[in-house]
Order: sequence, then C-alpha cells, then structure tokens
Amino acid sequence: MKEIITTKRGVMSKNLLGRVKASRKALIATVALTTMAGLSIIVSNGPALAATPKKIGGSVSIWAEWTSTEQQDFKAVLQPFEDSTGITVHYTGKGSNMDTALDAAVAGGAPPAVALVPDPGTLDTLAAKHAIKPLASVIGSEAKNYGTAWSGLATYKKKLYGVWFKAANKNTVYYNPAVFAAAGITSTPTTWSQLLADETTIANGGTYAPVSLCTDIGWPVADLFQNLFLKLNGAAAYDKLAAHTMKWSSSDVTNTFAEMAQMVGTGGTNLLGGMKGALADGSWPDCTTSVFPSSGLPTAAMVFEADFTTTNVPSNYTPGSGSSCTLSAKASPCYDTFNFPAPSGSAYTGDIQGSGDVAMLLKSSPQSRALIKYLASPGAADIWANLGGFASANKKVPLSSYPDTVARADAKALTSAKAFVFSLDDLQVGWEPQLWADMLNVLQNPAASNVTTVEALMDQQATTALGH
Amino acid sequence: MTSVVVEGPRVAAPRASHRRGWWRRNWVSLAFLAPGVIWLLAIVVYPTIATIRFSLYDETATKFVGLHNYASVFSTDAILTAFKNNIIWVLVFPFFVTFIGLMVAVLTERIRWATAFKAVIVMPIVFSTTASALVWRTIFDLDPHIGVVNAIEQTVSDWFSTPGAYPLNSAIGQTAASLASFNATGGPGGTLLSKSAVHPGGTVMMGLTRVSAVTLQTLGAQTPLAPQKMAGGIAGLVWNDFSPLQTSNTTTIVSDEHGLPNLRLSLVSSTGSSVASTVTNSSGDFSFSHIAPGSYHVEILGSNFQNAFVGTFWLGAQSITPTSGLNQTAQSLLSVPLIDLAMIISYIWIWAGFAMVLIGAGLAALNREVLEAAEIDGATEWQTLRRVTIPMLAPVLTVVFVTMVINVLKVFDIILNMAPGSSQGPATTLALSIYNDGFTGGIHSGVASTIAVILFILVIPAMLWNLKKIKGGNS
Repeated sequence: MKEIITTKRGVMSKNLLGRVKASRKALIATVALTTMAGLSIIVSNGPALAATPKKIGGSVSIWAEWTSTEQQDFKAVLQPFEDSTGITVHYTGKGSNMDTALDAAVAGGAPPAVALVPDPGTLDTLAAKHAIKPLASVIGSEAKNYGTAWSGLATYKKKLYGVWFKAANKNTVYYNPAVFAAAGITSTPTTWSQLLADETTIANGGTYAPVSLCTDIGWPVADLFQNLFLKLNGAAAYDKLAAHTMKWSSSDVTNTFAEMAQMVGTGGTNLLGGMKGALADGSWPDCTTSVFPSSGLPTAAMVFEADFTTTNVPSNYTPGSGSSCTLSAKASPCYDTFNFPAPSGSAYTGDIQGSGDVAMLLKSSPQSRALIKYLASPGAADIWANLGGFASANKKVPLSSYPDTVARADAKALTSAKAFVFSLDDLQVGWEPQLWADMLNVLQNPAASNVTTVEALMDQQATTALGH
Repeated sequence: MTSVVVEGPRVAAPRASHRRGWWRRNWVSLAFLAPGVIWLLAIVVYPTIATIRFSLYDETATKFVGLHNYASVFSTDAILTAFKNNIIWVLVFPFFVTFIGLMVAVLTERIRWATAFKAVIVMPIVFSTTASALVWRTIFDLDPHIGVVNAIEQTVSDWFSTPGAYPLNSAIGQTAASLASFNATGGPGGTLLSKSAVHPGGTVMMGLTRVSAVTLQTLGAQTPLAPQKMAGGIAGLVWNDFSPLQTSNTTTIVSDEHGLPNLRLSLVSSTGSSVASTVTNSSGDFSFSHIAPGSYHVEILGSNFQNAFVGTFWLGAQSITPTSGLNQTAQSLLSVPLIDLAMIISYIWIWAGFAMVLIGAGLAALNREVLEAAEIDGATEWQTLRRVTIPMLAPVLTVVFVTMVINVLKVFDIILNMAPGSSQGPATTLALSIYNDGFTGGIHSGVASTIAVILFILVIPAMLWNLKKIKGGNS
C-alpha cells in the first residue's frame, strides 16, 4: 500500500504533493488537538476579536486552495470572525487549480471578494490588470505584522496588494537527535562547513549513514540545489536564475554543484547505501523512513526536505531533542530540525526558500475589507497555529501558539526571513521535468566536464521553454 | 401535355417511394444502431479528431503552431528515450512471450494435472498490473534482505568470496585505507600497515574508524587495554578509535571505545616478508612472541576487509550497452537500461498465460492425423514440434505475436509502478510520456497529443493486420 502511494507520488506534481501532505498533517493534528484547540481558541483570541466588536452583517465570498481537513481548519479560523461581525463567509476550496480557477473567474467578471493564491506571480498579474485592490488603507497597522521579505512579495509597483496568511519553509533539515548523540554531536550545525564536518563524524562512527538523500524523479535534488544556491549566492541571484537572466553555465551554478558534491561525498560516500542506494530507495517519502523508522533502529542521521516532512515522521516520535531521545523507535524516539546552513559569515543566512498563500482583495465592500483585515491580524493565524500543520508569516503570532518546538522553529525561521523566494523549478514552465532529470544527472556524475555539459544542456532547455 | 403531366410524377414517384421504402425497411435497424453510433462518435471519433487538433496547437491549446510540436517531439531527449524504450519492448517482449507461451502450451499437453498447472500460469492475467508490478519491484529490490533476486546473487557470491569480519561497504566506495585513523596506512592488496616501525620489546597501537556498532556487538568486542611490553616479543592493540564522548580525539583510548576482535594480522620484516601471524582477541589485543631483533611493521590482512555483497540495481538506469563518450541525444537513443530487462521479465510473467491459452486452443484444434503420421514416420519430439506443430500453428502464433506488439506499444502501468523515481525518466515509454506530459506537473496538451497521434500511427499497421486476420478467419 505504501509502495503504491510512493509511486503515484513519484509522478505527481510536487506542489500537489505538498498539499496532500499538508492536509494529512492537519488530519492528524486535528484528531489530536480538537479538544485542546477548542479551549485555546476562546482563550487566545479574546483580545483580537474585541478589536472588531461592530456588527456589520451581510455576506462575503472567499476562495482558497484548501480542501478537506485544511478546509475545516480554515473554517475554524473564520468562525470567530463570523460570530463577532455577523458576516456570513462563503468559503470555496478550489484545490490545486486555484490559480486557474481564479484567472477564469476574473476573466468571466465574477471573482470572489477575497481570494488566497499560492503564487506571488498571480498577485503581480492581477495587480497589473487592476483586478485587485491596494490594501494599505484597508488593513492599516496590521501591515506591520509582516517582515520586509513578505510585504515585498505582496507589493506591486510600491503598493501593498496582499497578506501572506499561510507559509511553508524549505529551510529545514530533519535529523534524528539520538543518532547525532551516538556520533557525539552535541549541537546542530550552523554553518555549511560544520555540516560537512558533522557528516564526516557520523561516517567515522561507522554505524549510521550521515544522509538519507531523497532523489525521487529529481525534485528533492532540485530543492537541495535551490537551497544551496540561495545560501551561497543570495535571493537576488536566485531570482535571476529563476528568470533565466542568469545562465545555468554561470560560475555561481557551477560552485553550487561543487558544494552539493561535497555534501554527497565522492561517489555518494555520505549517502545511505551510496549513490545506488539513494537512487533505489530515494523515492519520496521512503527516504525519510531510514532516519525515522516506525520500528527498529535508524540507519541514517538526517534527511533534507521542506517542513511538510513532519507529516511523514511516525506518530511515536516526539518533536525536539534531548538526552531522553532513544535510538529505538519502540522506546522514546525524537525528531528535530535545524536551519539549512549557509557558509560561515554568509550574508544570506536569512534567505529562505518556501511557499505560501497570499490573500488578495478583489471586490471591495465593508464585509470583504473586514475579512482581509481579520486575516492580516495575528488572532486569525493564531487559531490555525494552535491546530497544527500551519505556519504563519505574521510575526505577531506568538511562538507559544505553535504546538511544539519543531513547529515553533519553523515559524520563527519564516517570520524572521530576510528574503523569501519561491521554488525555482516551479517557475520553469515547460521544462521542469527536464530540470529534475538534469539534477539527477549532475548528482550521479559531478565531474567538471559533465557539469559543463549538463549546464549547457540546461541553458538550451530553458531557452527553448522560456523563449530566452 | 397530359402525357407530360403524367410522366413527371411517374419518373419522380419511384425515386421518392424508393427513398421512403429504404427508410421504412431500415428504420428499425437504424434506431438500434443509433445509440452505438452516437456512442462511438462521442468517445472514439471526437476524441481522435480533438487529439489530432490539439497536436497542432500550443500548450494552452489556444494558438495554432502547425507541426512545431512534431518537430519538438523528435528533438527532445526525454521523448527520444521513450521511443527507444518502446522499440526495445517491441523487439524483445512479443517474441519471448509467444515463445514461452508456445513452450508451456506444448509441454502442458503431456503432463498430469495440466488444467491446474495452466490455471496457475494464467493467474497473473487476473491480477491488476499495478499489483504485479509492485510484487516484481520487491523481487528485484536492491537490498538482499528484501529482493529475492539479489538474495540469490548474494548466496552465490558468498560461495566464491566470503566477506571478512569487517566487510567494507563498497556501495559507498569504502577502501581499507579509508578506515585508517591512528598509526595506520593503506598497504598493497587492501591491507593496512602500522605507520611506525616496532622492535621486539616494544608495543604498537593502531586505530581504525567506520566500524559499525552492529559488527562490534556481533564479534563481542570488549574495552581495549593498552598493550604491555613483553621481552623478545611485540605486543599491540587494534581498536575502534571512535567515541561519541570525544569525536576529535584520535590518538588515545577513550573509556567507551572498543577493541577490534578477530582481526588476522601478520608481522612484516623490513625486507617485506611476513615472519609471524596472529589474531586479535576480544579486547583487540595481540602479541607476537620470540621475535628476532630488527625493525617490523604490523599488517592487518586484506581478507579482514573483504567486501560485503552489494546487490545489483536491477531497477536502475545503468545501461547494458556501452554509452560512455556519447552525447545526451545518442545516449537517449542507444542506452539499454537494466530496468527495461527487469520489467520485460515481469511483463512476460503477466502475459505468458494469455499466450499459452490462445496457443493451447490452437493446439487442440490441430489435425491429430498429421501428428500421428509424423510419429509413425519416426520423427522425434523436437522434429515434430519444429516441422509440424509450429508451421500448423503459424496463424495462431502470428495473432498472439501481433496482439502482443499492440499491447506492448501501449505499455504504461508496469513502468509507472515498478520503476523507482530515479528510473522513471530513463524507463519511460510513449504511453507514459503522454500521461506525464499531459496530466502531471506543467500541463503540455500539445506535446502529449502529438505523442498520442504518433503512437496511434504506430499501432495502425498491427491493428489492420489483426483485423484482416480476423476477417480471413470468418470467411
């Protein structure tokens, strides 16, 4: 059964994949936290709602991508708003084709009053068409809840058009604290060279492989490359490469590939099962089970993927690290994350790759304005943070609202992001699968001559697909 | 005038009444045909035309681009790979499945319990291809603890080369030299030599790393003890120089470190000849007594590190044919990934039963007199099969063969379910490309439709041939 899911996922759009995972996480979280959350909603949102006591009445429509459990969670977010303002909110979950559905609705002249899209490009497009309203006067002081990285992403021609309600983080490396302890590593790496040194230490221990590398059809390798490129070269260079105004054959890319080869080790010495093992068993999410097995002992120390990896950690694992963490999955195993490290002294430590959902105002009315202001407030995000499976870009949401240390660290990284970029491969419309295949190619053969060949090929593929 | 008036209707009337008569005679049949015809138009004719139309439009199906998609299909390496894989499937699979079907059909004719045997062979057709693919994925798994094929390979390989007590993990390219940590260096033939020279009456310590805790536990490794000097002999210790308490320390023994038991050692003189040999005890200690004066090095024999078995990556993309030095496009066209072989074997297992049933039916209908005549004439079994049975079965064999060609041109689900992510690209076929390009990730309806049209054109000859055969059979 697990195998079927894995294989299907192998060809599934990875965005969709993230969402599937996110909704599973929410399911587990909801089951576990329903009772608790019911209480905390009342407690923690008293003040936020007190700010909007005025009964407005009427109704407002809102669209987002969330369905099933995430839809229920979002409805829990909307409930206090409905209760306090008397406004009926009509929510429609559009699933993974949210952008297309919204485009069609705007073209057809019947858009919802408020919509959340998982893509800053859509915000720019709609702002250029004057299909969305500027928000500065609507949300007022709530705009200060967001760091510059986030407001920058919601700004078009110097006007704020969006509120980043939900965010996801690819800056995470998941590790098994007991394996780190068994290798004598007491603190997680904060620089790239420390990470490489820790890999050697774990390898010297002889019992565990340093890294279980997710390979799948190449998208996890692309994620790894993107993270590393961002940490080495910064968001500005990243955006240029995404737009293909920087060439794949540039030295920045070549250096990134070289660092990636360091992490992997010559011929895959740092990988579980070597290169062959990484290719054979690196399908998502099988690659996580060797670090967090549901029974028996782990065989690898760490695995890199985005914060949705939490959903693939078996439920008997406790978030966090400490001396009580055991190697055996039967006793008290733990999972934890550390931030994907940048080189020592790098200016790009706070540059983060991830994704998010931005709320936009399409039709202005007292009801829709009240709703978007509510979504920008910390109270709204706080509700979902309590439910789990959620991270907010809103820095006013107290970290204590998140259910555990891993979720807290995740949210902290997001709110304090200096620059935030979206997944580069998703912007490579028309050649994304080829990019993934190219990444697998370089992974297997990082020799300089092969890197040059593949980079030339990538430039050619990008030019064909993007027209420049 | 009157005659003209009369004649007009006379000429026209039969035509009209003829037409009316045709409708009257046929309306019932037409009414019965109509649902079928409408159904066919809706689900066969319309989609076919729409697909051809889409293949001439861009990705969003809004802009006419002529034959651009066709040009791009033949210049994209990923799609050329799909063509190549389809060719491999068509060349290999139909022949073998027909041959094996024939063999099984002929042999089951002469055994007891033939029906039960046939039922078992036919069974895989009943299973979903997805289920079969997952079973075979497990059978070919890289880990010999999971995949039976690699388990067999391991058994055979262990007959010829027994792994040492401290087997190197060749999957990650480990060498004996990479284990050296303290006072040890890689020697010839995968051995490790003590760096410092030692004289009788002296001691030697060698530290290794990268020894698995599992190995230490299996061998019952004990706490290492610093070697004690012995008169006229050389005492020493080989220990696992890795402690979580002190990861940076590589020169002294730390309390939770372990000695390395069961290591076969030899004492090498300055001339390079081995003068004595011994084995370490459970604390990793060893001694050579009664040694002539001189300078010596301790050698840890290569046999201690004999590689552990690493499975064959049957589901991997490595090519059976040599492809080094070829450019990307040539590689796409000329490589034969190992996984193709594994998948074809699995697919034969699925379809051999089908071939056997058809061929078995053909066998049952053969003229027994001819076979008896062959027997009376003294033909051997083999001669009968080759000269009589196969020629008489030729029509059935060709139908099976052509059906399998059509089947395999469309091969899809076994690849989707059997190939690990990293092999999906190298193992892709046209049908899988249609799915991936058209329905996953960024949607490319133009390219996907183009591949569909090409696949359709490729299937047509085989289909027409089969149709002709079926018609011929009826007349």
